[in-house]
Amino acid sequence: MNKKEEILDLANKYRWEIGENFHDAIIESIYKEANEISSVAVSKDTEKPKFDWDRTLDRLVTSRTFGLPLMLVMLAVVFWITIQGANIPSGLLANVLVDYMHPLIRYAFINLSIPMWITGLIVDGAYLAMAWVIAVMLPPMAIFFPMFTLLEDFGYLPRVAFNLDNIYRRVGAHGKQALTMSMGFGCNAAGIIATRIIDSPRERLIAIITNNFSLCNGRWPTQILIATIFIGGAVPAYLAGIVSAAAVVFIAVLGIFFSLVVSWGLSKTVLKGEASSFTLELPPYRPPRFLQTLYTSLIDRTLFVLWRAVVFAVPAGIVIWLVANITYDGISIAEYFINWTDPFALFLGLNGVIILAYVIAIPANEIVIPTVLMLTVLVSGMTGGSGAGVMFELESVNDTAMILHNGGWSLLTGINLMLFSLLHNPCSTTIYTIYKETKSIKWTLISTLLPVAMGIIICLITAQIYWLIF
Amino acid sequence: MSIIILLIAIIVLLLFIPRIGFMKKYRKGDSKGDRIIVEDALKHLYDFESKKIDATQDSVAGNLQIKRGYSASLIERLLQLNLITKVHEKISLTEKGRNYALKVIRIHRLYERYLAEKTSVHENDWHKEAEKREHDFDDEDIHKLAASLGNPFLDPHGDPIPDASGKMLIKEGIVLSEAVVGKVYEITHIEDEPKETYAQIIAQKLFHGAKLKILEKDDLRISFESDNNESILAPVLASNITVMAREDEAGEFGVNRLLSCLNQGESSRIKEISKAIRGLQRRRLLDFGFVPGTEIKANLVGLGGDPVAYEVRGTVVALRKNISQHIYIE
Repeated sequence: MNKKEEILDLANKYRWEIGENFHDAIIESIYKEANEISSVAVSKDTEKPKFDWDRTLDRLVTSRTFGLPLMLVMLAVVFWITIQGANIPSGLLANVLVDYMHPLIRYAFINLSIPMWITGLIVDGAYLAMAWVIAVMLPPMAIFFPMFTLLEDFGYLPRVAFNLDNIYRRVGAHGKQALTMSMGFGCNAAGIIATRIIDSPRERLIAIITNNFSLCNGRWPTQILIATIFIGGAVPAYLAGIVSAAAVVFIAVLGIFFSLVVSWGLSKTVLKGEASSFTLELPPYRPPRFLQTLYTSLIDRTLFVLWRAVVFAVPAGIVIWLVANITYDGISIAEYFINWTDPFALFLGLNGVIILAYVIAIPANEIVIPTVLMLTVLVSGMTGGSGAGVMFELESVNDTAMILHNGGWSLLTGINLMLFSLLHNPCSTTIYTIYKETKSIKWTLISTLLPVAMGIIICLITAQIYWLIF
Repeated sequence: MSIIILLIAIIVLLLFIPRIGFMKKYRKGDSKGDRIIVEDALKHLYDFESKKIDATQDSVAGNLQIKRGYSASLIERLLQLNLITKVHEKISLTEKGRNYALKVIRIHRLYERYLAEKTSVHENDWHKEAEKREHDFDDEDIHKLAASLGNPFLDPHGDPIPDASGKMLIKEGIVLSEAVVGKVYEITHIEDEPKETYAQIIAQKLFHGAKLKILEKDDLRISFESDNNESILAPVLASNITVMAREDEAGEFGVNRLLSCLNQGESSRIKEISKAIRGLQRRRLLDFGFVPGTEIKANLVGLGGDPVAYEVRGTVVALRKNISQHIYIE
């Protein structure tokens, strides 16, 4: 014991004499030694190349005149390829998994004289939810993520972060948040995993919490459908296309705006004290490795996220089927819930069907519209659809519009659904990813509840303004 | 019905929107309040003891901003706990009381060090935050905190941190107001109370570890150049700063050129990273090889002039202005 204290005292004496700079001194000496070794052992090609590609490219992509337009063009091209390229395989998958396989499996179950409720639970609930998620999610992700990774591999994305850092510095965030945000347009869960590139803890948390404001791939179809029906329907026919497209773009831009505002708010309040540092490495450009990139982005990003989504979608499908089929006094649980939330929801300019759809479709935004349609038919007792608890989508936008109008939807419901689709809790895959990445219940709760609270407030304000005008 | 749901929503909002911190505020119970007042009293008594001023019931009441009657009952309690002795009006600490006071000071200074190294809390708020948290730690927490910081000797203002047995090592020094014209000094301590004075000092870009050279001095002002700035302080403010002579630096001292002043395409060598860059940010820079003697070149300027990308050791690293203005170059 005495000996130990003696040693500790001696150690403390030396530490006091050395001073507090010894960490710096150690690193300095490491670099010095490494320099000496490399000057002897490594021969350098001293001849300067005639043309420095890196410098010229850097000058171009970060230039005042071309920097930002080039970035917007690149982003637009990536989105265009994703949307165009995903249409066909998505339709194909929906055809095979939903239109063809679903009745087939159902038929098989019935033929094996399996009880109706098991068939409903497994085939109409679990299988259908899974099929929907795969059909909507897989093709765009399999196109979007490899393209994104290729740009990253090439070295272009760090330059985008460099260009946009000025904006992000003003809101207390890191320039790389621009990248994780763009990634969020593909999938929020993937965007949140991508925040690992931000090495400063505070800026990383900001990027994680605000990623949900990027309108993800699962929400685009909802936006487009509702904008076409309600916004496009409210203007003269020759303007419908352009106005509804503008409305969707407006919602996406609104999301970017909210992500900046919330970043600013967070960095000034709750995250004020979190550790922070800023360095942004601009790696040299190099030819992207196509096959490797394709493989890693498929495995790491696409399949990883898809698997998590499927795991969460299956129980959601079961719940959806159950709430529509368990009845008490001839009224289903779904109807009870809808009637119960209707007054509050109508006050927000939404309706009970939407609230229930968003509660049971927490696992996947992709199934919101099929669930909404199923519930609307269920509640209003219309003919159509495929039966209680069986989600469906219609080929024709007009038929969908008819169902929604019959369900009592107005222009306000459409606008507020678009807003609520932007501002609501992240899907359960994303929530789980946030927890995995932050290891904190507090930050997970904040990231989940903050957007819902904002959504409720924004919808409320919109509804009040709408009622004032109309 | 809808009103009830709305009310519930509002309650949930109130609880969670001000992000948990709202609930935290109300955590402090009465038993905790008791601990706080006892510890604050001990700190005050220790402070007076080290300044060799006699502490009394009134000084306790005045310092803790409590009523005289309450102060009397507080002193009664401290006597019962065997933390102080009282002879006539004069109150002094017992051995036990002094050790307790030193423990609270240890937590306070360790926590300030923690805030400086591991968080981005502004230096104006270090003292205030530590004042709040110093009562929350038990022995094991203190040990863990000290170990995670590498058992430091000094807090970020240069005050010594007592070790677990209450010993502290004190650096010799003189107050800045007594410094001699023409000599070079290093700041070894900045008094962090009162808050307003401290804020004025750090507004002059002065910090623990900064070096300075006295240019002129009279009864009204002391003017000096530090390694990043030229400043003038009133002697009242200067008496809150302790400095140590640095004869070894006398020859080459002058206001440094800053990395942020390097124009696009220019290159230079790194001289030093200022002590104002601490913790995580300092480590990141060192990792990238920002060490003295390294050649550095301003390569690309971002939109709006910030950030700037520098070429260091074959890599290109972008830094923001608030960092590059703390890196000194030749």
